[in-house]
Amino acid sequence: MKISVLQENLAHGLSIVSRAVSPRSTLPVLSNILVATDDGRLRLSATNLEMGITCWIGAKIEEEGSTTVPARTFSDLVSTIPPAKTDISLHEPTQTLNIKCGSLNTDIKCIDAQEFPPMPSPDLEAGIEINVTDFKEMIKQVVFAASHDEARPILTGVLVTVEDNILTLAAADGFRLSVRTAQLSSPAPAPVKAVIPARALSELARISNDGSEVITMALPPERGQVIFRTKDIELTSQLIEGTFPDYQQIIPKEYLTRTILSTESFLKSCKQAEIFAREGSLIAQVNIRPGPEENSPGEVEISGQSEETGSSQAIMDATIEGEDIIIAFNVRYLREVLDVIQTPNVALETSKPTSPGVIRPVGDDNFLHVIMPMHLGS
Amino acid sequence: MSIQILPEEVASQIAAGEVVERPASVVKELIENALDAGADQITVLVREAGRRLIEVVDNGIGIPVEELEMAVHRHATSKLRQAADLFRVSTLGFRGEALASIGSVSHLTLTSRTRHQDLGGSIEVEGGEITGTAQLGIPPGTTVRVEHLFYNVPARLKFLKTDRTEKRHINKTVSRYGMANPGVRFKLYQDDELVFQTNGSGDLREAISAVYGVGHARQMVEVIYEDQNLRVNGFISPPGLTRSNRQEMLFFVNGRPVQDPALSKAITQAYHTLVMKGRYPFTVLFLELPPEKVDVNVHPTKAEVRFEEKSQVFQGVGRAVRRALLAHSPVPGVSNLRGVNLWGGPTPDHRQVQRGIDPAWSMLERAREETLVHQGEDDDQIPAPLNTPILRLIGQVAATYLIAEGPDGLYLIDQHAAHERVLFEKMLASRESPPSQALLESVVVDFSPASADLLTENLALLRGLGFDVEDFGPGSFVVRAVPALVGEASPEGLLHAAVEDLEADETPLENKVEEKIIARVCKRAAVKAGQVLTPQEQKQLLLDLEACQSPRTCPHGRPTMIHIPVEFLEKKFGRIV
Repeated sequence: MKISVLQENLAHGLSIVSRAVSPRSTLPVLSNILVATDDGRLRLSATNLEMGITCWIGAKIEEEGSTTVPARTFSDLVSTIPPAKTDISLHEPTQTLNIKCGSLNTDIKCIDAQEFPPMPSPDLEAGIEINVTDFKEMIKQVVFAASHDEARPILTGVLVTVEDNILTLAAADGFRLSVRTAQLSSPAPAPVKAVIPARALSELARISNDGSEVITMALPPERGQVIFRTKDIELTSQLIEGTFPDYQQIIPKEYLTRTILSTESFLKSCKQAEIFAREGSLIAQVNIRPGPEENSPGEVEISGQSEETGSSQAIMDATIEGEDIIIAFNVRYLREVLDVIQTPNVALETSKPTSPGVIRPVGDDNFLHVIMPMHLGS
Repeated sequence: MSIQILPEEVASQIAAGEVVERPASVVKELIENALDAGADQITVLVREAGRRLIEVVDNGIGIPVEELEMAVHRHATSKLRQAADLFRVSTLGFRGEALASIGSVSHLTLTSRTRHQDLGGSIEVEGGEITGTAQLGIPPGTTVRVEHLFYNVPARLKFLKTDRTEKRHINKTVSRYGMANPGVRFKLYQDDELVFQTNGSGDLREAISAVYGVGHARQMVEVIYEDQNLRVNGFISPPGLTRSNRQEMLFFVNGRPVQDPALSKAITQAYHTLVMKGRYPFTVLFLELPPEKVDVNVHPTKAEVRFEEKSQVFQGVGRAVRRALLAHSPVPGVSNLRGVNLWGGPTPDHRQVQRGIDPAWSMLERAREETLVHQGEDDDQIPAPLNTPILRLIGQVAATYLIAEGPDGLYLIDQHAAHERVLFEKMLASRESPPSQALLESVVVDFSPASADLLTENLALLRGLGFDVEDFGPGSFVVRAVPALVGEASPEGLLHAAVEDLEADETPLENKVEEKIIARVCKRAAVKAGQVLTPQEQKQLLLDLEACQSPRTCPHGRPTMIHIPVEFLEKKFGRIV
């Protein structure tokens, strides 16, 4: 292998794939990054066997070839060399990679590319095409609700369903549920139902570029894998096996009180309450008081307190339709969902202090979030 | 093969197997007989780890000559008359099996004289058969000589462990009874060498010092507790003095040594946050209950007992120990400094045991440490012991330890551990009852019938803790909400943990909540080692520590302070020898 690349391109590619490197593994090759010439470009790949990331960068190829380079050494080195043309060549018999850039001349000991786990080459014909920017926002609106508790693996994933031209992402951790739908530009060839690790989706959102690019999602049959592909990047992840809870029946069908608030001031009030509530059990009380007459504005008070630090009450104006209610929520859950809502106003639908609350962006039917209430012990 | 009644000798050998497992069990049975006979001097002679000879000599009431023959018969006892007596047994033995069982697997010679008879008698038994009787003049009391144990049970003989192990078992047995009966003078000779003795003064601390050495005995914390049906007294080790196993937790129920994992658990629980993980206290605790509240006829060697009101007993023991600990909490002192194993020799534990059974050594130590012993006794006489002495700050070393002077010497305080303790107690005090967090989807959890009963009984208690849980058919429960402070874990796991706590007679999830608080204390707030503190900060830390309930350990059980008495300094500087 003999190639020349620009340091900026190499550094960018390495920063993308190194998220999939497994730094501590009994398989040494998993700590390495595959470097291979591929159809006129340079391919960088890393995998921890659960998730794999590949990135293609432009390079001038003089001689084809491939090897695997220790990730840490390679990334640290590349980040220090000046942004200029870098010459890379591999001495095959000793698996030694020589890197020359300006006055720098280094040799890195590598592991044969044969040992690297083969990455699937997907059939993207049957894939579903989604706009990258939209998909990133969808991911952001659901992944935070997935569980971190490895005891229930199914809840650490996001349920992805596609029916006709409707794409739905749903995540739940036992206490809250986030559901986001979107319309596809063209109907999917076949319906899809799979649970993808939330971590893989977060990584995807992080590494893919903004813009009008298109991302292709493919689920090769019988492989238990999902593959996302953009022009320069490919992310592969194992699916989570099991049955995702039937979330439709968890979503309340009706409400007694509907409160419309400014998203911004609701979020700020929650942040204020959290400063105090985080010392205790993160409990925040939401006191909803409709106005004295119909159509007159009501108010919402959010309070958090702890024995140690004190308490806070924040009062906001709100349009309230229905009865007054006092209900308590985990304030972190409120803050996390308000953080991902883009519309200026948000609606909170409640019925009883013991029934779930529903949060919806006003004027956007594609998102909803269910939070289970808390109540103080007797 | 037709069914037959077993011949007498086979039956008695089978029965012997239950009672006489190893030489130490012979020693145990014979000591119990001697104690039941009211002896105040018991001498045990052992040769070749008991294979060759076990002789127990007592000065008790003795057996009349005409009853000697009866004594070696099965189910012959002077301690019971009718079945009803069984429920208020206050003697150690009662089954009437010991002598007969031992006689059936050895050469047994029973010699005895009562005080009112001029001549004593002796009787020889070989494998269960009486082979000879004689009359002779001897001092009052009973001597039982057991030779060639298991000579006719080769299988048993083969399964005996090495001499060292068997000797250790015998030593343990005798020392246990020595502690249980401080008023009785015990002597134990192994192959003509005196290895253990108590002075029979009636002082338990002295009996303990014969076993564990004066140094340990001096540090032991006294427990005195009484409620309606239970009296607990004895000694427990202070938090700084621990073992790596639970075997040195000794319990005597109505004078009888017993093993009971639940009692050990009650003790461990009482020491929670005071000793490090994997370390266990050692205890010598006497439980006294009305005889009808405890069933001792559960196990042939009576090593297990059954309590009528189990949870009350365990709670009482836990309360007794916790109270004693909170009142005392001594600082790990010089003896610990000295116990540190710097040279890779025998571990301090072993050394202590050796000291204990070497009277010459303990005499020496007694003489050498006279000043310290006095000091210790003075401490004990302070009616309400202080938690921490009032300390005068001297300064900080290595940006990690505070040095302070107390009334009795130098104190070194680990600033991180001390601050952890201060914060932990503050947070524990300000803890609110946790709110409950509803679940998106209710979860059904299954339990074994026994656990399910326990859960049904305690549903109200669990609801108070923040669980919303309901009976859902046999063995199943439906959970709709969980306590929020620990709510991140799975609801199944949480409910199981709560039930396990109930089974162990602990407040459900108390430990989990404490752990959570500990984690928060450590992660966030406590000052770290290596952090330079201003004199004001150092002073405040000492003041806060003085106000703590258990200032001597951090919430993980590591010591917060080390005490170096003035005497130790004087010795090191050669001012006193």
